[in-house]
Amino acid sequence: MRGEVPSVLKITDLVGYLPLVIFGLVLTYISLHAPNFLTLQSLELIVMQSLPVVLVCAGLAVVVMAGGDDVVSGGIDLSIPATAVLSAGITAQMLTSGMPLALCAVVALAACIVVGLSNAVLITKIGMTPLLTTLAMFVAVVGVNNVITVSRRINVDHSWIVALRAQEIAGIPAGILLVALIVAILFFAAHRTGWGLNLQAAGGSRDAAEISGIDANRLVAQSFVVAAFTGFLCGFFLLARGSGSSPGVQDNLMLEMVLATFLGAAFSPRRVVTLWGAVLGALLVAAISIGFKSIGVNVFWTGLIKGSLIVVVVAFSALAQRGR
Amino acid sequence: MNFSVKAVLACTSLVLASPVFADGHLSLEGKTIGVAVVGTQHFWDREAFNGATSTVESLGGTVVPVDGGRDNQVHADNHDILLNNGVDAVISILGDGAVEPKFEALKAAGIPVFTVDHPSPHAINNTTSDNYYMGTTIGRYMADAIGGEGKVAVFNAFQEALRICDIRAGLWKYVLEDYPGIEIIQPELAEEFANAPEDARKKTLDLLSQYPEGAIDAIHVGCWDQPAIGVVQALEEAGRTDVLVTALDGGPDTLEIMAEEGSPFVANVAQQPNLIGATSAMNVARHFAGETLLPQTYVDVVPVNGRDEAIAAYEALGYGSLE
Repeated sequence: MRGEVPSVLKITDLVGYLPLVIFGLVLTYISLHAPNFLTLQSLELIVMQSLPVVLVCAGLAVVVMAGGDDVVSGGIDLSIPATAVLSAGITAQMLTSGMPLALCAVVALAACIVVGLSNAVLITKIGMTPLLTTLAMFVAVVGVNNVITVSRRINVDHSWIVALRAQEIAGIPAGILLVALIVAILFFAAHRTGWGLNLQAAGGSRDAAEISGIDANRLVAQSFVVAAFTGFLCGFFLLARGSGSSPGVQDNLMLEMVLATFLGAAFSPRRVVTLWGAVLGALLVAAISIGFKSIGVNVFWTGLIKGSLIVVVVAFSALAQRGR
Repeated sequence: MNFSVKAVLACTSLVLASPVFADGHLSLEGKTIGVAVVGTQHFWDREAFNGATSTVESLGGTVVPVDGGRDNQVHADNHDILLNNGVDAVISILGDGAVEPKFEALKAAGIPVFTVDHPSPHAINNTTSDNYYMGTTIGRYMADAIGGEGKVAVFNAFQEALRICDIRAGLWKYVLEDYPGIEIIQPELAEEFANAPEDARKKTLDLLSQYPEGAIDAIHVGCWDQPAIGVVQALEEAGRTDVLVTALDGGPDTLEIMAEEGSPFVANVAQQPNLIGATSAMNVARHFAGETLLPQTYVDVVPVNGRDEAIAAYEALGYGSLE
């Protein structure tokens, strides 16, 4: 019996790492078939294209950390991509009517915080499930944004927004540095402060956390506001990437956010959603998307493959969890 | 067959024949051409893409295809991949303002950009339909169809976002200035870029509940005709086929609807997307052969007024027979 225990652990470890192994194999295949895939330029492209996803993933990671990583009953916030397009839509619309960027940002921030607070109240005060609440919120917020933008494309060429895309500092795009800074601050808050430790305690075992005097509900509520804030920030990177606001961006963003964040759990030794795991997950998903296009795979196949990867990741996470 | 359709198609077949046979000296041998298309779900997009890729291949070039899945942002980002792949030229089909910085980057890297239906200061050439003729013709046809007066709703989400739509919808409105009896219902409707037929169906049902029988005479789609599929569905569901429908593009799917007995879809202007894509690819070859291209290349359109002309155009454009 004693001899079997390590071998069982080994198998569950292996199962937990399988998503990563699969990604590794896919990326290896791509690099063999696309000559320019393993270059610095390509790496920069992957990071630049994934900046909006990285931000919403960081927000989702905080929510999952506070609410626990059970997809149905734990913490999840599907509304972040909608919050991001709301931020972009309000800013684009107000910039077009000649208002200063700072004022646009204040109004967009206020709107995003209202979304975060609404999620928080519905989930922690009324007791609705996060999955349904934030899905409904996603639909509602996209609706509001369609009203604000009249479902139209709005071009934005404000110099600050363009700078997020085009400005370089010491040869590194300013957008990358800025997102790295935001993620570093969030990482510090979530993993290196008392608040962050309480947050993780609440998500890890709510009962245990409450027995030790942690107000889990309060932390969950705060996590939704933090998530909405990352959505607000993401809006500006969406504007920079698209040089304006185009309708429909939220759908792809939501798919990539969920895939990347839960894929990120495979990076964590305990198979739980972490901030840096989510960020790496976002980069991997972007690398896969760009890689498939570099070797000329049809975009519909890319969709199928992304969907299958979600299934594989969630399945192996569940298996690894069971074996723990 | 209607005489005007015949005449246009006679010209068209000349145009169809000319690039391939008359420009036999052209070649893309050894060249890799990136072809970026905004989506391949719709007939127009798919055919323009097919025309471009098959022509590049028939000229001996290699195609790197990228498809935006009807998402303008994905489409724009795809140009980064083409830049990274180091292609020799890019043909970019449709797209909104999000592609402009990508074109700029390609140009800066010395990769010439050729656009389809997207005039850009960063492109060598834009190949497109005669959008001016499309806009004015559909304006005249619609005005005639409702007897020169009445209330008209318009799906017009892209007039400010896409230059081709600005031309088409703007000139449609310009024609209507001479019909003081025609009123455009405000606010204008905005259709979605993806899932347009279903989205337009829902919005039309909402519109019909606001405007009872006799309060609305026509629904026009300002820049394309995929939403018109949903508009016609909604009219049939609501039993309101007294409301007439006009739109632009005229692919086989919408010509078939126009060809149905008693169809409310009464006027269209058909484009030749395959020829447009093919012409753009020929322009790439001309550029590499040292020819100087004009900034815009126009491809003929086929006006379609009523059921009979829809049937004739369907056959003449090579989509089969509806009789």
